[in-house]
Amino acid sequence: MNRREFVGQLISEMTHYVLDADPQRMVISLHQESDGLHLAVLDSVVRTEDELDSIRSSLNQTRRPELAGYYASLAGYDSLGSARLNLVGWQVKGADVSVSDSGTKIDIWLGGDQFDSSSFSIDDNEK
Amino acid sequence: MLLIVLAGTTILAFALAPPAEVVRGFFRLQVTPARLLSDFTSSEGEGAALLNAAVVAGLSLLLVRISGIRLSGPTIAAVFTILGFGLFGKTPLNTAPIVLGTWIAARIAGKRLRDYILIAMFGTALGPIVTLVALELGLALALGWAVALGGGILTGILLPPAAIAILRLHQGYSLYNVGLTTGFLGLFAAALAFGRQSQPPGLAIWNVTPSVGLVLLIPGISLLLIVAGIVAGDKQTFAGLGVLITQPGRLPSDFMDVSGTSSVLVNMGVMGLLFWGYSMAVGAPLNGPVLGGILTVMGFAAFGKHPLNTWPIVAGVVVAALAFGHELAAPGVILAALFCTTLAPIAGEFGIHVGFIAGFLHLLIVLRSGAWHAGLTLYNNGFAGGLTAALIVAVIDWIRSNRPERVVSRRGSYQDTHGEDQ
Repeated sequence: MNRREFVGQLISEMTHYVLDADPQRMVISLHQESDGLHLAVLDSVVRTEDELDSIRSSLNQTRRPELAGYYASLAGYDSLGSARLNLVGWQVKGADVSVSDSGTKIDIWLGGDQFDSSSFSIDDNEK
Repeated sequence: MLLIVLAGTTILAFALAPPAEVVRGFFRLQVTPARLLSDFTSSEGEGAALLNAAVVAGLSLLLVRISGIRLSGPTIAAVFTILGFGLFGKTPLNTAPIVLGTWIAARIAGKRLRDYILIAMFGTALGPIVTLVALELGLALALGWAVALGGGILTGILLPPAAIAILRLHQGYSLYNVGLTTGFLGLFAAALAFGRQSQPPGLAIWNVTPSVGLVLLIPGISLLLIVAGIVAGDKQTFAGLGVLITQPGRLPSDFMDVSGTSSVLVNMGVMGLLFWGYSMAVGAPLNGPVLGGILTVMGFAAFGKHPLNTWPIVAGVVVAALAFGHELAAPGVILAALFCTTLAPIAGEFGIHVGFIAGFLHLLIVLRSGAWHAGLTLYNNGFAGGLTAALIVAVIDWIRSNRPERVVSRRGSYQDTHGEDQ
């Protein structure tokens, strides 16, 4: 799977998840570097702490290469069921979930161990 | 727990026949045609079949360990499936080239075997291709085995791309995705193998008088799992079970992550007893293929199946069998009643009625599909189930996509998805 297809699948699954909550606003921001990328998803849905914890645990999975290499390819291909963030979680380095001014902000990081995510996170002014 | 099950199977193997006979039978099974339906408990004896099953499952467990993969729902499902199919088709010799081919595919894709290990393990369903080429096409011994091993490796290489693409076809609503994949590849393999000669009929080796040892194998394993689950989990076991039986079961649903190990062990044991009881009730012989079906159900009780999402599918198969005049204990029907549970996510996600229809359609397809690939994939029910799931998913997707949906627009008025204000 090439990088474009891979990123597209992740964005599609995240979009599916956000739209399930019927938001008034959704913003997806992508910042790519050669050795990693940062995907920020912001929406207008105010979620409970339990819901935020559920997102965190789904997106910060323990390494499951046997699932990531096979079943995670379903990410972005769920037209019938509800979105499943663990499909994304198996494939990414990690994620931060926080409450934004008007809803929820999900930062997803991908890249090798050398990848320094702090060097290109979204500027606070852009949030 | 898995080691106990494998050790118990090995002990039972040597209890059912003299050791020398068991070992000789085990080696003869390696060079026995393995297309559907080859009940190893009949062709080389129950002891040899059980030993073969324990060895091939033990090797798969070793593969999991070597790959550094933790034992979880999908890997347990794979090991139990291989244990079951070791009684009617899979041997260490005919599965090794498939695994080697999948490892090569992983290297080609810049991955490691652990990334494709589930495809490799389930993909061993195409082992009969190896024995077909080596033993049934009339090639000279050395040439036959050389081509067989090469063909097995090539098959293994083709599995990952095909499995990943086909997974999206039914969106995870058939648990035996590799079944559909191997059926798909089996069509090409059969066309290639029989391009210059007529296709032989499927094999029909079916043990009708299994021993008491075979009959009691499933209750023994099931009770062991239930007791272990209850002892290990205490009250958490039942709380976890309450969560587990609400899961739709769609791929990939690792029940160990959802409800914990102890609940999964109990679910496996309960499912084993339920399907063993069904098989006994309809008068089916507890031979290699039937035991294989029940062991596969038990394995997938850690990865998508539970009583509530499987019974509508089985009910559909039973009603279809009765409606079309088939005996419930006939080989094709009893195997369909066990393996149709590949469609459990359909009932789990879309409800009892859709699940029932899926089971009904499944029987009609599976009784025909074996001939299409000449029995070259052992997962004929996985093939038929995948086709059924793909059809149902396509229809439901089409209906939902085209049904006007009332939503609240941002302007505060109601609007349907066709854009007409109400």
